[in-house]
Amino acid sequence: MWRKPILLALLLAAGFFWLTRPQTPGSHDLANLTPDVANGELVFHAASCAACHGEDLRGGLELASPFGLFRVPNISPDAETGIGGWTLGEFHNAMQQGVSPAGRHYYPAFPYTSYARMTAQDVADLKAYIDQQTPVQNLVAGHELAFPWNIRRGIGLWKRRYLDPSLRSLLADDADPVLSRGRYLAEGAGHCTECHTARDRFGGILRQRWLAGAPSLDGEGAAPNITPHADGLAAWSLKDITYYLEKGFTPDFDTVGGSMVKVQENLARLPAGDLEALAVYLKSLPPQSNN
Amino acid sequence: MLRTFVCAFVFIAICSTPFAMAAEDPAEQRHELMEDVGEAAKPLGEMLKAEREFDAATAMKSFQVMQDVAAVIGDLFPEGSYVGGEEKAKETVWSDREGFNQKLAEFSDALAVAMAADPQSLEALEPAAGNVFKVCKSCHEEYRTPGE
Repeated sequence: MWRKPILLALLLAAGFFWLTRPQTPGSHDLANLTPDVANGELVFHAASCAACHGEDLRGGLELASPFGLFRVPNISPDAETGIGGWTLGEFHNAMQQGVSPAGRHYYPAFPYTSYARMTAQDVADLKAYIDQQTPVQNLVAGHELAFPWNIRRGIGLWKRRYLDPSLRSLLADDADPVLSRGRYLAEGAGHCTECHTARDRFGGILRQRWLAGAPSLDGEGAAPNITPHADGLAAWSLKDITYYLEKGFTPDFDTVGGSMVKVQENLARLPAGDLEALAVYLKSLPPQSNN
Repeated sequence: MLRTFVCAFVFIAICSTPFAMAAEDPAEQRHELMEDVGEAAKPLGEMLKAEREFDAATAMKSFQVMQDVAAVIGDLFPEGSYVGGEEKAKETVWSDREGFNQKLAEFSDALAVAMAADPQSLEALEPAAGNVFKVCKSCHEEYRTPGE
């Protein structure tokens, strides 16, 4: 009489483990890539790594979210407490699959959902740049999350639903290369959508609300609508947007605020052409109201 | 002279609202004053961006408005006046009051330096206004929510 339910439970458990197993990509031609450290520095700024991990990459920043408290890890090249000694394959898995060298899922507070859109070359270049930074010994404690979010295996299911490395905005094959560059920067390394797009109750990006603004994940205020709608950037010229990214001022000379300050200061280190590309991309989005 | 004007303005603003409401609504008052700072920042920004011709008197007037606000605005964040939601003052204003006061002091200092420099050219305005804006931004980073 008990055989059936037990069998069913075992099957369910096996199914869960199979469905949630951390995936690592097949054989990428990572070994053939020649890293370009100078480009890696650009990618580092475009991705705003330092905004969360700190200028010296020591980690430790605490991010309060509706799911619990996340602690940002040390990504300096320290062998014990950082990511020193990682292979390119391991780094690649972390950045694009959200899987640690030990084969565990990362929480998507680490925006691999966007980094998954980066080229393997940019990932390799980024690693080369990080490897050249000074190792900092700093052991960061783990996250403190509530049930069920504290079950890492569950992220496997989450990823099946939400990890989508395709680019959001579809462009014609002969699209303007500037727009194409802007899309790549914004949707990939720049990970704009992680803050500027609303999420569903499981923390998945609502792709139909792309960049139309979202409540702040830390509970206060909002990341504004950055689509070219009256509620967003309709009144901003391309020059206004690049000026904001470069200097941190809105067209009214209000300043950038909150967590965007560090992001803006990182983006300001990109070449002018990339900032312009970001502006062109934002202006190309379908306009959406705040609601 | 402007200081008197701003003080008088604040005084009239307070008197012209029902008293109880004024006493209960420092959020409204600090918002108004920050709007004044924003208005004052605009000509400075436009000059730096080369969208407006440099004018020493206009620049000085902007600094003066900001300094007048800096002198009084700290009192408009009394204990328990956190609003949240639409209001952009973050809870950190109250939870880290010392840090917030420090930023206000830096704001006053940067303005005093800018006014003492009495910039007579765009080249002289750049560092003076730049230092003031830097304080705006660093305070907005810690004590104001992002948003439109």
